[in-house]
Amino acid sequence: MARLLLLLWSLGPMLWQLVSSLRTSDALSGLASGGWTLEHYRQLLQGDPPFLTYLLNSAVVGVCSTALTLALAVPCAYALTRIGRRQARSLTLLVAAAAAFPAVLLFLALLELARDWHLANQLLALSLPYAGLCLPLAILLLQAAFADIPIELEEAALIEGMGLWQRLRWVLLPLLAPAMASSALLVFLFSWNEYPIALTWLSRTELLTLAPAMARIAGSSVYTIPYGAFAAATVLGSAPLIALMLLFQRQIISGLTQGAIKG
Amino acid sequence: MRWRLWLLMAPALALLLAVFAVPLLHYLWLSTQAQSVLTGLLPEPIGAQQWLRLWNDSRFWQDTWQTLRFSAASVSLEMLLGLAIALLLDQPLRGRGVLRTISLLPWALPTTVMALGWRWIFNDPYGPINRLVAGLGLPAIPFLSNPAITWMAAVGADTWKTTPFVALLLLAGLQAIPADLYEAAALEGATPWQTLRRITLPLLTPYLLIALLFRLAQALGVFDLIQVLTGGGPAGSTESLALYAYLNAMRFLDFGYSATLLLGSFAILLVLCGAAALLWRGNSRLQGALR
Amino acid sequence: MIPPRALRRWVLLLVALLGSLSLGLWGLARERLEPVSVLMPAPFADATADLVNAFNRRHPRIALIVTRGPLETEAVSDLAISSLLLGESPYDLLLMDVSWTPKYAAAGWLEPLDRWLGPKALDDLAPGAELGNAFGGQLWRFPLLADMGLLFWRTDLMEAPPRTPAELVAISRRLQRQGQVPWGYVWQGKQYEGLSCVVLELLRGFGGHWLVNNDPVLNSPAAVAATSWLQELVRQGITPAAVANMGEPEALQLFQAGDAAFMRNWPYAWAELNKPDSPLRGKVAFTTMVSEPGEPHAATQGSWGFSLLAGSKHKAAAVEVLRFLTSAEAQKQLNLRWGYTPTRLSVFEDPELLAANPALADLQLALAAAVLRPLSPVYAQLSDLLYRNVNTAITGERSAPMAMQQLQLNSERLLRSSGGEG
Repeated sequence: MARLLLLLWSLGPMLWQLVSSLRTSDALSGLASGGWTLEHYRQLLQGDPPFLTYLLNSAVVGVCSTALTLALAVPCAYALTRIGRRQARSLTLLVAAAAAFPAVLLFLALLELARDWHLANQLLALSLPYAGLCLPLAILLLQAAFADIPIELEEAALIEGMGLWQRLRWVLLPLLAPAMASSALLVFLFSWNEYPIALTWLSRTELLTLAPAMARIAGSSVYTIPYGAFAAATVLGSAPLIALMLLFQRQIISGLTQGAIKG
Repeated sequence: MRWRLWLLMAPALALLLAVFAVPLLHYLWLSTQAQSVLTGLLPEPIGAQQWLRLWNDSRFWQDTWQTLRFSAASVSLEMLLGLAIALLLDQPLRGRGVLRTISLLPWALPTTVMALGWRWIFNDPYGPINRLVAGLGLPAIPFLSNPAITWMAAVGADTWKTTPFVALLLLAGLQAIPADLYEAAALEGATPWQTLRRITLPLLTPYLLIALLFRLAQALGVFDLIQVLTGGGPAGSTESLALYAYLNAMRFLDFGYSATLLLGSFAILLVLCGAAALLWRGNSRLQGALR
Repeated sequence: MIPPRALRRWVLLLVALLGSLSLGLWGLARERLEPVSVLMPAPFADATADLVNAFNRRHPRIALIVTRGPLETEAVSDLAISSLLLGESPYDLLLMDVSWTPKYAAAGWLEPLDRWLGPKALDDLAPGAELGNAFGGQLWRFPLLADMGLLFWRTDLMEAPPRTPAELVAISRRLQRQGQVPWGYVWQGKQYEGLSCVVLELLRGFGGHWLVNNDPVLNSPAAVAATSWLQELVRQGITPAAVANMGEPEALQLFQAGDAAFMRNWPYAWAELNKPDSPLRGKVAFTTMVSEPGEPHAATQGSWGFSLLAGSKHKAAAVEVLRFLTSAEAQKQLNLRWGYTPTRLSVFEDPELLAANPALADLQLALAAAVLRPLSPVYAQLSDLLYRNVNTAITGERSAPMAMQQLQLNSERLLRSSGGEG
């Protein structure tokens, strides 16, 4: 019973979107009963720019931010586990505070940064603030994973004459793979969903990522309320994420829980 | 050796400083400048005037109250529901993995996407809930046009989206509790309620605290959901601090005051999260002493 | 003898070389074209597509590119502002709503047009359409389309439209009692710019004003009466309570479904209601807003016009575009094909148009009744105060006098603080 309720609660709103996206506009506003159509999807996919552009932009930003975040977070997390208890503790505390910080409060200053450094309207540049915002969480996760690796392993490698870089690359990183996978997925989710900064950094329609594009659709038509198109957009916009969740649920869940246990 | 470790951290720390510290310092400066459409968008020093304006701005205090109301309601709902879901998922049930994944889905979707979805669900009169209501012959529920109801609609949408996150954190905590504790409790004939009070909740405390602090900070910065779902209306009854600051910058072109508002929100966030952490710590100390 | 495989490789290489060369040349040729980029809300971008093609054919040295903005007015403004704030705005011309112009001009984003269009630029504009383009002694915008608030009424339900607020209420009541319509009157009551337009019309209709000599007079008896009337409409069930979250599309949806006898909306609704598949085709007419006896039937002016951006690097070419798109010929085509209301007197009086579109004369009359929202760089704040406070009355949060008292105080404070600096 409780399980059924949970299912209904989680899936109900999404199913309603799915159903709405397939109904005709007249059926939606109660003018006619029945009537099923793929028209809303056609309209979105052939729009200007087509809806797939937004998905692609979001994917590009997501992949870049993820790569950048990991490239910065891995060495940082490693250093934090080796640097000595006192400094590590205060730094970790600051990082944890940053992890909870609501990103929206930063939008105005980041807007000015974008203008002064000519970073606006560039998808790749958008991964800079995204990486900055995701770093705290990634560092915490990876730090916990590094702490789990027995220090003897690294000492053995040191005795064999391996340099810092070699030790990282050949000894530590392979052991870190699961934690890296889960932080990568969390960073990707964040970048895919981020709204206020994308809203202020991107002003060209063809560069919009999914979240601001959706909000613009919400700005709605003057002619009729395109609820069918809204619903189709929510379906298309969530489908990749649902696929991602279903494929990688184990990594995402373990990433979240690891962070909680060690954080 | 030492300096090499610092070198490894340097790029990450530099980016963190640029993204978190520099903006806050910049706001501090900007809050003492008039920079708006009336100054031709150029900064002009005006001292503490904007802080005074903030203090006397009834809309700022109204939004503060509304943001607090929203946060308190949605975070407490999320904690309760999250705990319930975590306890349910902790049971050895059939199809638990699938259920766990499905229940996590709402959390993974972009807020703007689902806010749009909720706008349609709450539609008066064509949304599903109001069709159901009309089918029963009752008057439509003004989800988005009545100040007394709309904020609860926003809380509902937020709860739907973020409860899975809380549930998952708490589930991790539940699974870290050693099973023999429960076995011992069962041998002593403890009721489920006693087990929950005496074993589960105390051991879950750190997780509850993390979830609470994280969610509280995020809820106090609520923006996406409100902007798309209600735009702050009706009658400004759902406007949050972040939305007010956004409007000041992007609609009114008043950057000095927007920065002041952002810092004001940050101060409120600090005070509240600090108070929550302190309270909790004091409380657990007290309990420890009593035990 | 070259072996066939090597031959193929050479041919491929040659093709690639030639291809890239011609691409490069084509690119060079394109470089010569002077690009002019215009941002428009999506419906206007669609409507002007043919004109843009015609322009590009006639001007081989200019490449006119239209960016299709979002559909909603405020969203377009947000987009324009963010691109201007980010610097290096990609646009040369903006299609602007009348209420944004003073803010953009004060921010230093616009180029005055006097120098480009000459002193007689506004001579051909119809009465009402010339408002809101020039202020501070300079011309900042040239109107493309006129827009004004109209009262739509159902010709199948009544003989003549109401002319006073009391008549509107009486007719609505009668029709509702007879079960002809569930609701009487729908309008824009959401907390957004549309509500300010609704209120402005009623302010004038009840004998009040928004500002007098740059001072707000929003707690005047007339202003309170206007707001009270709106509040009463909801309280008496003539307007559904959902109006507090209604914009133009929601109001149109309800009216078009046959669920209301009256609607306040813009001229686009006329075309929409008379589409072949519309259930109300031929059953609707429009007039100006109701008013108390002796007071004017006001129509909020909401025209769209082009402004030249100060940061544009192609000003002369952009002005060429502006002239072409706002020409009598272009306006005529926009009216014939899309039903948009022109701004030029010569177009209003065109016999061919009048024959094709008899409503044009009525539109011209309504345009002559146009009233302007305050031309102020802080208009966005003023309007925000107005729609928030009036919305509190519509939702029943506050009584109308209290809401207007609060509005008056806040507006005074805003204008005092901005007056000191600006």
